[in-house]
Amino acid sequence: MNGVMLSQGLRSPMRHLAGLRRAKAISTSIVHNETIFVKNNDEFVNKVMNNDKPVIVNFHAEWCEPCKILTPKLKELIEPLNNLDLAVVDVEDNAELVHTFEVKAVPAVIAIRNGLIVDKFIGLVDADMINNLIDRMSGKKKDGA
Amino acid sequence: MTLFNNFRKLSNFVKPLKRTECLIVLSRRTFANGTYDYDLAVLGGGSGGLACAKEAINQGAKVAVLDFVTPSPQGTKWGLGGTCVNVGCIPKKLMHQAALLGEAIHEAVAYGWQVPSVDQVKINWSSLTEAVQNHIKSVNWVTRVDLREKKIEYINGLGSFKDPHTIIATLKNGSQKELTAKNIVIAVGGRPHYPDIPGAKEYCISSDDIFSLSNPPGKTLVVGAGYIGLECAGFLNSLGYSSTVLVRSVPLRGFDQQMAGMITSEMEEKGVKFHHRCIPVSVEKLETGQLRARWLNTETKEQGEDIFDTVLLATGRYALTEQLNLKAAGVNVLSENGKVVAETEQTNVPHIYAVGDVLEGRPELTPVAIHAGRLLARRMFGGASQLMDYDNVATTVFTPLEYGCVGLSEEQATQRYGADNLEVYHAFYKPTEFFIPQRNIRNCYLKAVALREAPQKILGLHFVGPVAGEVIQGFAAAVKCGITMEQLVNTVGIHPTVAEEFTRLNITKRSGKDPNPASCCS
Repeated sequence: MNGVMLSQGLRSPMRHLAGLRRAKAISTSIVHNETIFVKNNDEFVNKVMNNDKPVIVNFHAEWCEPCKILTPKLKELIEPLNNLDLAVVDVEDNAELVHTFEVKAVPAVIAIRNGLIVDKFIGLVDADMINNLIDRMSGKKKDGA
Repeated sequence: MTLFNNFRKLSNFVKPLKRTECLIVLSRRTFANGTYDYDLAVLGGGSGGLACAKEAINQGAKVAVLDFVTPSPQGTKWGLGGTCVNVGCIPKKLMHQAALLGEAIHEAVAYGWQVPSVDQVKINWSSLTEAVQNHIKSVNWVTRVDLREKKIEYINGLGSFKDPHTIIATLKNGSQKELTAKNIVIAVGGRPHYPDIPGAKEYCISSDDIFSLSNPPGKTLVVGAGYIGLECAGFLNSLGYSSTVLVRSVPLRGFDQQMAGMITSEMEEKGVKFHHRCIPVSVEKLETGQLRARWLNTETKEQGEDIFDTVLLATGRYALTEQLNLKAAGVNVLSENGKVVAETEQTNVPHIYAVGDVLEGRPELTPVAIHAGRLLARRMFGGASQLMDYDNVATTVFTPLEYGCVGLSEEQATQRYGADNLEVYHAFYKPTEFFIPQRNIRNCYLKAVALREAPQKILGLHFVGPVAGEVIQGFAAAVKCGITMEQLVNTVGIHPTVAEEFTRLNITKRSGKDPNPASCCS
């Protein structure tokens, strides 16, 4: 079931963002572990879609209690890693991204590698699932494990 | 996006033409088929407007919704969703719930719960308002996402008519957008009315402000005893903020007065002070920052005054029709109160409609606006013919002890049918849960107003007690089916509940027998 969901997820937003990919690519090979706070589409394309490293994208809202638990947790786990980035997208400031990724509830977490969605979960999930996702994305575990 | 581009292209085109051939341009836009920007433009993104817009999209129409909140005199504003979501039903119910939970903590002790320092339990106003506002913002967001998904264009601008098919939307930054629509629905709702007394706009708040008030309200004066005033005074008092209510004529005017009396008795017994037959005269700010409110008893001509931390005005709401520039649209069916008179939601201009609180003589309730909005959209685009039935709409006043009702009040029934043709069944009751904490049962009362002649069709049901809203909802469906007293008393109750008291009704007012309960279970 997950496989089907993922492949469907790969299509629609990608077609939309494909156009945006032609935007200037900024090199992100500088060792940079700070969390990316996405303010607009260009920033998203440059720092997430065109990132050499895989990125965990966290859709966040200030009025959402579970987000206030999940976002700091993700920061805590990902900032020390130098082969995985975290991008936080405030849903109030990024309506188009919300629409593109069909985010209907927060918190939502989408894992992106080389501009493709490789995983997605909605809601506050337990620490195991978060750690699992991070391990897979940072290469510690093989995909599909 | 598209709208703005169209506007730019059009303005380049229209400006030179305007001076010489404006008449032709106008006629080209209003008479040509299919040259409107939208099939439907909805003015107002509240309960009625959004329901109508979403149903219209389902029917295949191209829809735009305009929504704009003019800040209150105290500067409060809010997002998409209308009065109910932002400054009405939703925050009200949440605060009512907070108040009930506060009472429950104390009752819990009687049931054996060991609550440490129960006498020091108090409300943190900031935490409450933050939780309430966070919920409202989440609803605002989901609403916006929903509109986007359904491809309904949302314009955050104040709409007004330029001509029968053209609307000008004024955005927050002052810029304007123009759009044309084949059909237009006015769903702008209303806002609190401010009495014309010194200090009203400067120092007083309204229901627009209370749910996001940055400082705890403290000792509060509520001016007005309609359901908004009573509900606010009710939860404020229960949260620990001493409350006083100024009643101009009678509480809950338009509602069954016997039941209204039970509600106010209960509130008085809980510590809310009432000043009857009093109107506000002035509100001034003192050096301490507190407010001195003065009032006049219209009967005794006595003057009264007191010092409060907050003065909350709840003296009625007015429809936002003035800023629409209805003259330009040719709509001329406004009542004295500025509301739109439209029996079937259609104004005198065939393609302009109205729905929700803005309508004259209709219950100002969210479910009414939603249902009417949906049926209207189906009639406009789906070829349907079903009209909205405004009769027997159930409603509930969410004072700490709630009042739910459906159908006619005893006064209305008496006026319509005559006392001789009516039979009123009534009873006091004792909710099982009230015994242990020794809660006041003096105002737990219900009645059924029915026709006297068999099978005694029920005209109205009235209930004061806990969870009145939940109790009355099912009976509203029964009343819609024409339930009779015979059917009601032959319905077996669920025990132990408070709703079952309706099935136990057997004492009539006419008999003069004591309606107080002897004991339960018999």
